[in-house]
Amino acid sequence: MGAGFFVGVIGVLILLHAAYSTIQYRTLLKITDEQFSGAPINVVIELIAGLVLCTWAALTVPGKFLSILPHSDENRVVSLPDNLDFMIFNHRGKAFPLDMDVKLK
Amino acid sequence: MAIREDSSVQLKKSSDSLDEIPTFNAENLQNNARIINYSRTFMSIIGGVIAGILGFTSLTGFIFYFIVMAITTVGLAAKAGFSIHSYFDSWNRVILDGILGGLLSFVLFWTFAYDLVHIF
Repeated sequence: MGAGFFVGVIGVLILLHAAYSTIQYRTLLKITDEQFSGAPINVVIELIAGLVLCTWAALTVPGKFLSILPHSDENRVVSLPDNLDFMIFNHRGKAFPLDMDVKLK
Repeated sequence: MAIREDSSVQLKKSSDSLDEIPTFNAENLQNNARIINYSRTFMSIIGGVIAGILGFTSLTGFIFYFIVMAITTVGLAAKAGFSIHSYFDSWNRVILDGILGGLLSFVLFWTFAYDLVHIF
């Protein structure tokens, strides 16, 4: 799946490492009998780094956005009925206003 | 036999008419909606784990969730190049879609991580 997937995996691993170091920090606090007031600063930095990596992975891994406009350059298959050989008449285009410039041969 | 003269020009004329019904490429619209859903679900899970590790409780945690969702929304808008109308049918789809569903995943992983780190 490419680089984005591995960036996501690294982000999750950083998060797991931050969780483990927080657990160790809490056992230390239990020994010294203090309250948990906030995570240590290196854990916060790790979490921010993990969040940034995971955000980047979440935006790039699922795939690109595809244009939905019927007349854009990427949706060329949609314009196939314009070719005289492939005209389809019984389609939703009958909802469009009738084009009166069509000449009879 | 009817001939369409200058078919490409007439195609533009029919799309410029005032009472046009906007038709979109439905498959691509679905594809884009699916991408948004995947991104938001993944970010909700990651946000839940982070909120649990940091030990957020009650209101702080939910505020953190909405911050993470706001970051995801900005990221998705940037991914679409800020020209939303060529990829989606309305702004609401980018901003609001998937937030409530993601909230449940967030709370699940939040309580899971909080228990793991702070209770056991």
